[in-house]
Amino acid sequence: MINNLILMNGYGVYVWSSFLLTFIVCVIVYYKTRKTLKKYEKEFAKEIEELSVKQKKIVLESSKVASKVFSSYNKII
Amino acid sequence: MFNFFNNSNIFIWIEKFINFLNSIFFVLLLVALSFALIFSPPDYLQGDSVRIMYVHVPAAWISLSSFSCIALLSIFNFIFKIKNLKIVIKSIAPIGLMFTCIAIVTGSIWGQPTWGTFWAWDARITSMVILALFYFLLISVNKLIIDEDRANKISSFIAAVGLINIPIIKYSVDWWNTLHQPASIKISGTSTIHSSMLVPLLLMFLVLILYCALIFLMKYKTEIIRIKKKNLKRL
Repeated sequence: MINNLILMNGYGVYVWSSFLLTFIVCVIVYYKTRKTLKKYEKEFAKEIEELSVKQKKIVLESSKVASKVFSSYNKII
Repeated sequence: MFNFFNNSNIFIWIEKFINFLNSIFFVLLLVALSFALIFSPPDYLQGDSVRIMYVHVPAAWISLSSFSCIALLSIFNFIFKIKNLKIVIKSIAPIGLMFTCIAIVTGSIWGQPTWGTFWAWDARITSMVILALFYFLLISVNKLIIDEDRANKISSFIAAVGLINIPIIKYSVDWWNTLHQPASIKISGTSTIHSSMLVPLLLMFLVLILYCALIFLMKYKTEIIRIKKKNLKRL
């Protein structure tokens, strides 16, 4: 059963290489995209952190995105 | 109503949707892979090599539909100048290029046991390579040209020209003598594929579409943060 699944009557090398290649590319792109997103979130949260108290208050009250990123970043820390 | 479509509301919905996709994705992937690699029958002519179809065909569908989507949105953006569309186009293009490359490479691997060669310059393969070049051009223009208005114009032009290639890819198997077989699945008309193969194919398509949605949403979210970051610097 397992032998059949691996060898696929001689076509295993073609089938498995196609699926593996697709899987590997998808995983690499997923992690690269996630890494970029996290990097931007971190940088954005840090920039908010560096603002003066008054500016920070204005930014966090006026932008849902800023407050969401800032709060999730602080949760991680 | 229009307030719902602002970046802040979209951002919050994106977060919820990403979490939802992450929670169902692996279960669906396992089901689809089981059908594609174990439960679906081998083809009477191609044997087990037909299983390559379960990644090759959905990848090709996604690459064609992504480019059609990009082209239509680019034209729409060129006329109405909607900023969100620009972000959508920028987020879809890399996904389209990736799936075009996957379709070409898996097709090439499938070619060896079926046609006896990894590569042939037949109409379908050549037009797919041209599609990959259009994707590459679109991404390069958006990355290299800093002036947003100019980049918009050029990328809209490239997308509009590239749109001509889509029906060429679709009908190349009917218009020319190619190594590719004609389409087995038809939206209008009867499909010539058995349900035991159609179900795994549609399941794999669903999984890859969900994956695309996940990547698209993460890229879109990154772009929103990038814009907000720029605005913060103006303070």
